[in-house]
Formats: sequence, structure tokens, C-alpha cells
Amino acid sequence: MQIKIRKKKVINALESGSLSDLAFLLIIFFIVIAVFNVNMGFLLDLPKKNSSKIVNTQDIIRVAIEADAQITCDEETVTIEKLQDLVTERLKLRPNMTLYLLIDPEVEYQAVVDIIDVIRLMKVENFSFKMKGT
Amino acid sequence: MKIKRDVNRAPGIPISSMSDIAFLLLIFIMVISLINYRREIKISYPEAANYEVTQDKQNLEIWVDDKGVIFYKGEVIQINALEKVIVDSIIEKPGIRIHIIADKKTKYKNIDDIMNILRLLQHRVVSLVVKD
Repeated sequence: MQIKIRKKKVINALESGSLSDLAFLLIIFFIVIAVFNVNMGFLLDLPKKNSSKIVNTQDIIRVAIEADAQITCDEETVTIEKLQDLVTERLKLRPNMTLYLLIDPEVEYQAVVDIIDVIRLMKVENFSFKMKGT
Repeated sequence: MKIKRDVNRAPGIPISSMSDIAFLLLIFIMVISLINYRREIKISYPEAANYEVTQDKQNLEIWVDDKGVIFYKGEVIQINALEKVIVDSIIEKPGIRIHIIADKKTKYKNIDDIMNILRLLQHRVVSLVVKD
């Protein structure tokens, strides 16, 4: 007598449809995590030790920022917008212009960032900064 | 008596349990990510318009709050200890990028203290992080 064994149902591999959902969730998760930890800002090059550069004094524009965030440009008080105009004008006259920024130790960081922002906008290549009293 | 088995099954690797594995993998990665998450300090980021991406492959973040307190990996750190951390990091990873993440109301002198360490170490590139 022949006994028939019932054939087991074979699960088709292609039926695991939830796998794609999981993979999609994983991708979304990685994208979100990657976006979270990206720092944005300004890259500054600090000067080399004992490095000195000879600059024509007429190429230097001296900008100082006081404790109350007041900006002075060549001893004259200016607003950030006015500074932007002055830098643009000076750059036209003297493309090798060097902006020398003197920062008061008590000034808020935002005020310094504002000036660096303008410097970046104006594409000033020669930029030097120092804290007052150092 | 001989029992005949029907062995005519379709060839292939059974991957029905793959979704369970993928799910476990997902949970595992999420937990690991939570362990390694960036410890943020409550600060108000300074704002700027012309910022760029300063993130690098290897990064070291130094946080400074509005009172000038310096944090490293979520813990308060003194300036001398910070110097040691920076030196060790630079020795280990010479191309490491140092980010200064300071509150917009922080006094500049607190940021200059960190910059002085970098100047002394001749680590010339520094990233000043702003709000994106």
C-alpha cells in the first residue's frame, strides 16, 4: 500500500513584502540621523606661529568691535551695513586689502559672528583678528 | 513497506525569517545610535547668512554656554583639561576638525581662550558653528 504524504506548502520568498518597508524605515532613519549631526559655520585659518607678513599700511582697514557691539572702522563708528559698503568700496580700490579686526574681550559672540559673516560675504581674502589686550 | 516521499520541492533558500532579522537589525542600530548620540548643551546658536558646511570626517566639538562654561562630550571641562583633550585628539587623529559651538551671548574672551590653545598647538583650522 502506498501512503501519500501531504506536501508541505512552500513559502515563497517573494511574499516577504514587509521587508521592503523595514528597509525603507532604515533608510529614513539614517537620513534623519545624518542630517542631525552636521555642523554649519565658518572655517577660520589661524595664523602660523611667529609668522609675519609685510603689508602696505594703506591696504589695511582697521575694524574694532567694542564691548557694546559698537563697530568702528578706521576710528569712525559705523553700522554693520555701512561697514559692508566701506569694505566693498575699499576692495574695489585695493584688491589686496587686509581687514584687521580687533575684538573686545567682553563683546558677545554674535557680534563677532556678524562681522565674520560680512567678511565672508564680501570675500575678503586677507583677514586677521585679535582680541584687545593680548 | 517502503514509504515514498514526495521530494519535488522548488529549490531556493527560505528567507521568510529575513524580515525578523531585518527588524532586529533596525532595533539594534537604533539603540547603538542612541548610545553614540551627540550630547548637546542648551545654547542659543549665533546666526549668520553666509555659512558653509564645516563638518569633517573626524570632529571634535567644544561647547561654550552663555556663562563661558566649557563642555566636552556633555561634561564641564576646565581649560587645562581641555588642552590635554585637544592634544590627545590631535595626536590620535592629526586631521581632526575642531568645532567651537558657543552661545551667541558668550563673551568673546571665552572663545579666545580656546583659540589660544589651538594657536599654541598650531592646529590652524577652526570651525565656528552657527545656526543652520
